[in-house]
Amino acid sequence: MTDSISVWLLSLLLLALATAWPNVGLWAQWKRSLGQRNRRLFEDALKHIITWEHRSQAATPESLAGALALSQRRTLDLIVLMETRGHVCSDTGGLTLTPEGERWALHVVRAHRLWETYLTDDAGMPMERVHRAAEIAEHQLSEENLDQLDAHLGHPESDPHGDPIPTVEGTVKPLDAVALTEWPQGEPARVVHIEDEPDVIFRQIVAADLRPGSTIRILENSPQRLIVSDGSAEHRLAHVVAANIQVAEAQRATRPTGTRRLSELRAGEAAEVFELDVSCRGFSRRRLLDLGLTPQARVEVALDNPFGDPRGFRVRGTTIALRKQQADQVWIKTQKTSHEPEIAAEVTHA
Amino acid sequence: MTAKVADPKTVLLRADHLRRQIGDDFRDRIVSSLYADARRIADRSVRIGADQKWDWDQKVDRIVTSPVLGLPIMLGILSLVFWITIVGANYPSQMLAEFFFVVESTAVDLFTDWGVPDWITGFIWNGVFRGLSWVVSVMLPPMAIFFPMFTILEDLGYLPRVAFNLDWLFRKSGAHGKQALTMAMGFGCNAAGVTATRVIDSPRERLIAILTNNFVPCNGRFPTLIMLATIFVAAAFPPAFASFAAAGAVVGVVLIGVGFTLLASWLLARTVLQGEASAFTLELPPYRRPSIMRILYTSLIDRTIFVLWRAIMTAAPAGAVIWILANINVAGVSLAQRSADFLDLLGFAIGLDGVILLAYVIAIPANEIVVPTMLMIYMGVGMMSDVTSYDEIRALLVEQQGWTMLTAVNLMLFSLLHNPCATTIITIWKETRSTKWTTIGALMPLFFAFAVTFAVATLWRIIA
Repeated sequence: MTDSISVWLLSLLLLALATAWPNVGLWAQWKRSLGQRNRRLFEDALKHIITWEHRSQAATPESLAGALALSQRRTLDLIVLMETRGHVCSDTGGLTLTPEGERWALHVVRAHRLWETYLTDDAGMPMERVHRAAEIAEHQLSEENLDQLDAHLGHPESDPHGDPIPTVEGTVKPLDAVALTEWPQGEPARVVHIEDEPDVIFRQIVAADLRPGSTIRILENSPQRLIVSDGSAEHRLAHVVAANIQVAEAQRATRPTGTRRLSELRAGEAAEVFELDVSCRGFSRRRLLDLGLTPQARVEVALDNPFGDPRGFRVRGTTIALRKQQADQVWIKTQKTSHEPEIAAEVTHA
Repeated sequence: MTAKVADPKTVLLRADHLRRQIGDDFRDRIVSSLYADARRIADRSVRIGADQKWDWDQKVDRIVTSPVLGLPIMLGILSLVFWITIVGANYPSQMLAEFFFVVESTAVDLFTDWGVPDWITGFIWNGVFRGLSWVVSVMLPPMAIFFPMFTILEDLGYLPRVAFNLDWLFRKSGAHGKQALTMAMGFGCNAAGVTATRVIDSPRERLIAILTNNFVPCNGRFPTLIMLATIFVAAAFPPAFASFAAAGAVVGVVLIGVGFTLLASWLLARTVLQGEASAFTLELPPYRRPSIMRILYTSLIDRTIFVLWRAIMTAAPAGAVIWILANINVAGVSLAQRSADFLDLLGFAIGLDGVILLAYVIAIPANEIVVPTMLMIYMGVGMMSDVTSYDEIRALLVEQQGWTMLTAVNLMLFSLLHNPCATTIITIWKETRSTKWTTIGALMPLFFAFAVTFAVATLWRIIA
């Protein structure tokens, strides 16, 4: 009898300890997660308002409730809280940010875009997954974290979708671009921005291999669809998809016909590097450049792999093994038989 | 002299303004021009004849990466390295053990002469010192043989070809091809394998390589595997084939370990460490004649001494704990026996027993002391013991302790999969600087070990 009572007492004591222990107990954890959730809500609201401001529109309580999926009642509470803290002013035109609120909102935007850049360029996460990951991370990074990350990434100007990253001082380079649907047919255009929401459309754009930096040309613009070419492949896009791609004047023509990917090079053929694909950014781009895969470098297949992947390539007197995924990012053109012009071209370039 | 000092703010603004004008591809242009310059200088001063060396290299490459011969060559070289290590380490290990034993008994005699109390003598010499000498004599010779051989393969240029051959397996599991190298390093020592993951430059894949390195058995665990293979597997074969059967069993366990490495990498890459396999670039350097001095230096100083030192630092306390557990009696039964009884039920569930589990708990600092600890508790003596022949061990385990084939198989699996030793755990922490990943690195293998041995034990009992 006494045994079972002491067992029960002991379990109760343990349970009480597990709940009330400072910092790590269940109670403390619950409080913390509540705090986190409030911060997330608060920051998401600031982000919503600044996004609308950048579109030269004023956010309204209704738009805020829609974006955060909150009831009218809770949205109102949130706005009152933001006003008492001095982050937001509301008037007849809608909600506007105070300088203090704008500073915080820019911090969240900067966190989101830097984190997206880190995930694609350094951690190698696929583009279609980074947005969701950044939605969480943006609420957890401090200003100091961001400065370190910014320096580590070499102060990038724009994130993988082409959105400009705010600087520490809080300046944002405006995006000077029009929707692809409004671009004249036949003119080369440079993709500068891809809208990452809604997800379904974004995935279609990524699947069509269009990235900020791609140079494309509209071949056909009919009421049903757009056909665009990047020089080596053609893609059909619905208007609703194309409207989410923003373009500006191209700095160069589309890739000439006859360029292919390094992965398509067969044993015994020789070719020269044309360029690295625009989707190859950050760390992996630097890696390929360091290995000598710069424009006009001569490449040939050194070693085929029975399992298809990786394959060895001969570049500048060394053999380098690349997986198909890397070899896909190098564009090549078939080399003329003579070997001389290569050097001359490089010298004039330098 | 009053130089006009510009306002820092305007300078910064101007710099920022200029930076935005140089375009996205300025890095590309810098690298291109560097290469162009290098090329111009090289063309002026270097004359290149027909590259005969490269032709020869290519022929070798075609053979060692060929679909038919590539894998057999690799397995052959791996087995050869193991064989040389096992055979070559045997004799020096014995000599070291004898040497330490002489030191120990002399010291014990001396202490007794001086009238030092028994428990102090026992604690220092039969506890701490014996723990140390076990680790040194079991670990030092295999490492001093394995690491130089490994470095020779590295220097020759063969290891990158192994990574080239195995990359497709690792790519399918979402990991990096160079993990094949760090895995091979793990055969010597998992702590060294974890350090070696620095060759993997993307953080996600490096973490996968760190967390799964433990699934290949290290030198400290090979003695256990070899002993079990000899006692249980080889005994089932006629004497002429016995040694091959034992070697085959060890290679089989190693392959199971590689399988678990891939499985765990695959699981990690699909759960907590999601992502595409990122940039994989692997240089295949020309074959070179290894330089002996460099090999001796890197393998002895950088690897052997480094790993040994950490092992010693953890083995001494373990020796002390073993001595205390075995020599403090509560109500006539030693603490060691009591804890073993306590763990017995859990041990039975996974086809082992309490003593084996206790040995693994005590041996967290260094895996090499598992077998001596186990034998010590079985025999009920107060110190780690050295048993001279496999026949004696078999008599003890099978006839007195009731070990079966299931015990042997599950102990092999448990030894292969269980948590990394303290040295490796510390190394994981040093490399990741993260409590979270260190915890995962320590507990994930343990979970695998319990799950697999429990499944095997249950299936075995249902069928048998």
